[in-house]
Amino acid sequence: MGYGRSDSYRVATTQDKVDKSPKKKKGAKDMDDLKKEVPITEHKMSIEEVCRKFQTDIVQGLTNAKAAEYLIRDGPNALTPPPTTPEWVKFCRQLFGGFSVLLWTGAILCFLAYAIQAATEDDPAGDNLYLGIVLTAVVVITGCFSYFQEAKSSKIMESFKNMVPQQALVIREGEKVQINAEEVVGGDLVEVKGGDRIPADIRVVSAHGCKVDNSSLTGESEPQSRSPDCTHDNPLETRNVAFFSTNCVEGTARGIVICTGDRTVMGRIATLTSGLETGKTPIAKEIEHFIHIITGVAVFLGVTFFILAIVLGYSWLEAVIFLIGIIVANVPEGLLATVTVCLTLTAKRMAKKNCLVKNLEAVETLGSTSTICSDKTGTLTQNRMTVAHMWFDNQIHEADTTEDQSGERGRGRRVPLFDKSSVTWLSLARIAGLCNRAQFKAGQDALPILKRDVAGDASESALLKCIELCCGSVRASRDRNKKVAEIPFNSTNKYQLSVHETEDVNDNRYLLVMKGAPERILDRCSTILLQGKEQPMDEELKESFQNAYMELGGLGERVLGFCHVMLPEDQYPKGFAFDTEDVNFQTDNLCFVGLMSMIDPPRAAVPDAVGKCRSAGIKVIMVTGDHPITAKAIAKGVGIISEGNETVEDIAARLNIPVSQVNPRDAKACVIHGTDLKDLSQDQMDDILRNHTEIVFARTSPQQKLIIVEGCQRLGAIVAVTGDGVNDSPALKKADIGVAMGISGSDVSKQAADMILLDDNFASIVTGVEEGRLIFDNLKKSIAYTLTSNIPEITPFLLFIIVNIPLPLGTITILCIDLGTDMVPAISLAYETAESDIMKRQPRNPFRDKLVNERLISIAYGQIGMIQALGGFFAYFVILAENGFLPTRLVGIRLNWDDRSCNDLEDSYGQQWTYEQRKIVEFTCHTAFFVSIVVVQWADVIICKTRRNSVFQQGMRNKILIFGLFEETALAAFLSYCPGMDVALRMYPLKPSWWFCAFPYSFLIFVYDEVRKLLLRRNPGGWVERETYY
Amino acid sequence: MDLVVLVAFSSWLAPTLGSAFGREVFASVADEDKDYDSAFHYDYESLRIGGLVVAVLLFIMGIALIVTRKCTCSNSDKSRPRGPDVESAVPKDS
Repeated sequence: MGYGRSDSYRVATTQDKVDKSPKKKKGAKDMDDLKKEVPITEHKMSIEEVCRKFQTDIVQGLTNAKAAEYLIRDGPNALTPPPTTPEWVKFCRQLFGGFSVLLWTGAILCFLAYAIQAATEDDPAGDNLYLGIVLTAVVVITGCFSYFQEAKSSKIMESFKNMVPQQALVIREGEKVQINAEEVVGGDLVEVKGGDRIPADIRVVSAHGCKVDNSSLTGESEPQSRSPDCTHDNPLETRNVAFFSTNCVEGTARGIVICTGDRTVMGRIATLTSGLETGKTPIAKEIEHFIHIITGVAVFLGVTFFILAIVLGYSWLEAVIFLIGIIVANVPEGLLATVTVCLTLTAKRMAKKNCLVKNLEAVETLGSTSTICSDKTGTLTQNRMTVAHMWFDNQIHEADTTEDQSGERGRGRRVPLFDKSSVTWLSLARIAGLCNRAQFKAGQDALPILKRDVAGDASESALLKCIELCCGSVRASRDRNKKVAEIPFNSTNKYQLSVHETEDVNDNRYLLVMKGAPERILDRCSTILLQGKEQPMDEELKESFQNAYMELGGLGERVLGFCHVMLPEDQYPKGFAFDTEDVNFQTDNLCFVGLMSMIDPPRAAVPDAVGKCRSAGIKVIMVTGDHPITAKAIAKGVGIISEGNETVEDIAARLNIPVSQVNPRDAKACVIHGTDLKDLSQDQMDDILRNHTEIVFARTSPQQKLIIVEGCQRLGAIVAVTGDGVNDSPALKKADIGVAMGISGSDVSKQAADMILLDDNFASIVTGVEEGRLIFDNLKKSIAYTLTSNIPEITPFLLFIIVNIPLPLGTITILCIDLGTDMVPAISLAYETAESDIMKRQPRNPFRDKLVNERLISIAYGQIGMIQALGGFFAYFVILAENGFLPTRLVGIRLNWDDRSCNDLEDSYGQQWTYEQRKIVEFTCHTAFFVSIVVVQWADVIICKTRRNSVFQQGMRNKILIFGLFEETALAAFLSYCPGMDVALRMYPLKPSWWFCAFPYSFLIFVYDEVRKLLLRRNPGGWVERETYY
Repeated sequence: MDLVVLVAFSSWLAPTLGSAFGREVFASVADEDKDYDSAFHYDYESLRIGGLVVAVLLFIMGIALIVTRKCTCSNSDKSRPRGPDVESAVPKDS
């Protein structure tokens, strides 16, 4: 090879590397080009033209020299592995993203303030320096924490990768050679057979029963046959092109490579995906908004008191130090850690429910989601054809399509089983079993039938499994009825027939069985089997056949007709040589037996999940590459188009008027074809998305899926995309949150997604929505709680400046609150259960319902915070008064109080205090203020448990919260009483009575907020709600 | 609920610190004929011990609360049991 690349970069594995790339610096034009449809034209050329274009030979293939030349010109046949984000960049993103900015700013301001102090004072106070260091440490530690959290999920991602190198069989200079798929070049003549992965985009030149599984590219569940003729202008639809990295299911084909590597259809999708810019997550936007508010408040306070300080006669430098001090005091030091931990806890909880979240911030996104665009194949459906209905004895019978065939799952009712004893059914089952080339792969007898692997066509496997399940071993039946001749299905006949010996050894007649397109089969029949009796086919029966056929076809199902005949012994004696090339036996005047129809059925949990999303106000849109009829049938089956809602076409059909006369406003549902979508203008598109509640997009290309997602986002929706195929990956990447399937999903889709459903259960989406909404509410509570204590922390400093009292609360004690006592209660609020049924309300409006709004600030800062500050000051004044300094004596005492040389400061009673004695009293006050804040925060955490309900309704079931109350109190007591604290943190033991100073305030807070919430509940929409509900 | 916590806390607090409380009162009464100019003295030693005992007790209580029946606090028991997913008979590749 000599490319100096590791194996993992070869074809088979490269797609999964694609999406890790940072955005490539590409022009917008380039992206637009990728969004356009595939530019392949080779399918319309004749084989000779294609050969000429690539200077290759249809028999000999390329010469080795030419191949080497092309390889150098086009590069290896592999998707460009984009440069992965270096780990340090990821780490820096954690370190400097979102909330950290606030803390960094705080830290820098602190260092600045310290620098000013150091430059101007002889003996600068170390407070600002320590604060700066602590802030830096907090950011770094939290950054490391979230970095490792995300590294853990990406490690799980790594494990998905499949590392099998790929081989391809090419013909060069007339010889078949097995080469690495990476060395395949344009013009190579390649051969593929059932089970192979197509090594590049190839133009088929000859094929034998070749079928490819395009489901990851187009969303069609059924394998598509491949032949050399051009059947469609669209390269994705035509039969003579097979695509890179799709699978050949059966048959063999030979073709000329027309595109390799990034130029393949798959490569273009992968490049498109990795090139997409993704916006910020909703929670990141909320945090940004929060930072704006906090900064606003901080700057306002800072500037106000800066001016006041100047007016009061402080020097410029002092005022600047105050300004910085006030701004920094507004930074909620503990909040970054709290938010990170809360999100991590939710991510863990979701992982337990099999939702793996790759990015912490994406945890909340599903909660804000207002539109879900879901792929059909493999996401809503099982991607497995199953027999759904049968028509025999002039009646439609329903087969069980649930995943475990218990008949009980799905919509909770048991599917009525048909009469298995009917003779017609036995005949039908015999035909379906005999006229069927699918068979179970060996060595799977221990597995349940539905889990066994089948070699063969999807619909034949469906029949095989259905028959095996209902009537026992098909193989035994085939052994009893030896096959003597067979004509396989082809597109001109549209039928498949086989001739068998009969089970009865004495009966020397042959049994001819046939299946195929129902109308063709019917044409060949003159009689019909009813209740086991052959009856002549009359118009009435034909009519009833037509109705059944139409009905099943209308359900989006693939219908097959079955018929048989016992060949008369006199014409076809034993040993008759059946010639399948030049048919020498009877193939008409057969006896019609019945119809069987197949569909890729919805997963069991989907209808329920869709219903829950609906009631949660989330619009569910289906975006599929499959055909409109099938898509619509599945949409109806899972409730995306709800019962009773009609499309424009339905209304037209019902009223018997042309489609153009129907008012599109009357139709809530609509099904849009990909080719129509291409012609829609942006306005028309917006119109459709806005005016229809139930939308199905069918036959969409990957690029169109992307356009649909962008359309929804343009209308202000927060869009979740679920999908499993490569064709979904651009949309997955572009969506606010992409959800991929963990088991059946392709690697590219998993890489592009933000969240992975490990068990492929669509219902996990509902869990995601629920958890996302809950964490959003709980983050509000956590933030309200954390912000409240900011006021009792700032006001001491403000009063210290304004009225010149000794400092009531120091930096160290502030940090003890923010990073110590407040942490556990704030985090415990993440464990709070929902106040009401969060799945019954509308998704939040990203423009109106903010994480932090003015009302929250008003409650936290303006109301509860103020009461807390009163509590703290009460304790402060009590202690100083007990020591002889009555409040009146304190005002204006600051300069003397802090003067080291003043050792005879008199208190209100004339006692003299040395500097050191005064300081001990001051720090005792700090400790008391700190303890008072802890006491009032008890009440605060309890009132923050709920935003609307009373605590008595909510209960105290949150054990972590009670734990938090105990721990914060224990920590406060420890800090106050532990020997050595007076030296280490300058905290002093408090007399027991001082603990109780803040109790009345704590009680007041509780009563105040309970009354507020009572008023809020009593008058919905009233003044209290408008002004204080956060 | 606030009240409950409050009462619970104060009932914890009172007996442990009662001794220190009483001693203070006693000291101030008994030492009446002492030198008024000397600094107030106060039995900080037992106050410290009492405070630490309370801190440790609260801490242990909190831990005990978490350890006993810790499942009720996390919502893990809420997750519904799910049946096995029988599917992907046709495995897909990208």
